[in-house]
Amino acid sequence: MLNTATKSYQLALAQLTDSALPTGAFAHSLGFEPYIERELICNEESFGVWLSAFIAQPLTYSDGLAIRFLYEGSDVGQLDELLSAQLLPRQVREASMKMGGRLLEIGGDVFPSVDLDLYRDLVSTGRAAGHQPLAFAVVARSLGIPLAEALGAYLFATATTLTQNAVRAIPLGQNAGQRLLRHAADDVAAAVESIGHLDVDDFGAVSPGLEISQMRHERQRARMFMS
Amino acid sequence: MSLVAPAPMGTLRLSIGLRQGRSVATRQFHEGALRVLRPHYLDESGQVCFVMVNPGGAYLGADLFVIDVEVEDGADLLLATQSATKVYRTPGSFAEQRMSVRLGERARLELVPDQLIAYREASYRQGSLYTVSPTSSLVSTEIITPGWSPDGASFRYEEVRLRNEIRVETPGRMGAGAELLALDNLLIRPPLTDVTGMGFMEGFSHLGSLVVVDPRVDQGLADELSVLTAGAGAHTGVSLTRTVAGTTGLILRSLSNSTEVLSALLGSCTALLRTRWTGQAPLNLRKY
Repeated sequence: MLNTATKSYQLALAQLTDSALPTGAFAHSLGFEPYIERELICNEESFGVWLSAFIAQPLTYSDGLAIRFLYEGSDVGQLDELLSAQLLPRQVREASMKMGGRLLEIGGDVFPSVDLDLYRDLVSTGRAAGHQPLAFAVVARSLGIPLAEALGAYLFATATTLTQNAVRAIPLGQNAGQRLLRHAADDVAAAVESIGHLDVDDFGAVSPGLEISQMRHERQRARMFMS
Repeated sequence: MSLVAPAPMGTLRLSIGLRQGRSVATRQFHEGALRVLRPHYLDESGQVCFVMVNPGGAYLGADLFVIDVEVEDGADLLLATQSATKVYRTPGSFAEQRMSVRLGERARLELVPDQLIAYREASYRQGSLYTVSPTSSLVSTEIITPGWSPDGASFRYEEVRLRNEIRVETPGRMGAGAELLALDNLLIRPPLTDVTGMGFMEGFSHLGSLVVVDPRVDQGLADELSVLTAGAGAHTGVSLTRTVAGTTGLILRSLSNSTEVLSALLGSCTALLRTRWTGQAPLNLRKY
């Protein structure tokens, strides 16, 4: 039942969430690398536990909720400030800005819109930091992608990149990576459901363990990733 | 949850100002189940120490406690508690503490409460809003225990929510519009998720945190505190927040299996800051 309109946004969404989109996501573990160093993540099963926690916590309470608030009309500048304040571990905050900056650039080139110009202007004049989930949400909304689809695609794309990074870093077999993604799809579906029920006070709720690992990465001696 | 906002179970309002080199209470009000003990001066620095007391000894369902603290320009307050905050069963409801703190130019607050203990079937929400100036100095510590239940199991409470918002006032952005420096939002809901394992408590039972906001906070200090706490028998992370108007926050989080380990660890951090910034001796709070 594809009509022309849905087709056009579906291909755009596929492009936006393709792990080949050059935002530099391959360079970030977002905190799983210290677990590898401590040998707590060492195989498919243990990475799966981490990935589930990552989808259920930061991707739900921070990225996902920010995307929902933007769709519901919250001011992009205020949400940007909220994310800059909530991403307490420095490397994760910088990762979000770095990948966000690339996404704003690519978006401006291939999916330009008035809203995106507005956000890019805030960033280029130093009034906003330019965070990845917001850059994605602004582009996705301008393309007419419904919220639930945008959320599912963003969360799954993040899970995919993290899994690919784990496959290289642990290392895992390619089939193990695919099994992990199949499980991640269920976690993403649950996260999209739960994001719809959260409120403003829930924004940015953190898991202490994930956050401590993201902080400790700053001082890890040998590392493959920037976060 | 009731639809009508209940009157607070306890209210405390405290303003501290600087008078002839000493910090003193310029305004003090308490009502219900919250009060402060007679102020003390623990050293010659002029810093005044107030100890908060909850005479009821505990927070129960639907209890609301409101704390409003102002430290005026140049004044210096040490705020502690007399004993642990204990939250008992709150069936179908939650106990809540709302704190609002405002620090003036060069004002300083050290906030060092005892640990939080949430018992079986307890729900607790603590919301703190700190409004600081770019020259203020804030040091705040917190310890959360896994609670306790008669069968000896831990994490039997329903929910603990601790949400800290730190805003920096600048001439263009005052009051509620002040720029957000840090949002530290902790939500632990043992019945809904396994909070004990990887990614959450990492197999530990106690969580400690330190928040420092001060124009002297920098990467060197973060690295130093990281080295200082490395051998303390806890799993610790340290990082810096964004910088707003020249002031930066430092966040330290630590997991361990006892209140004593965390209090010693946090105490070593506040001791370093005291020696370096004010020349004060390490904090030694005898309970009055």
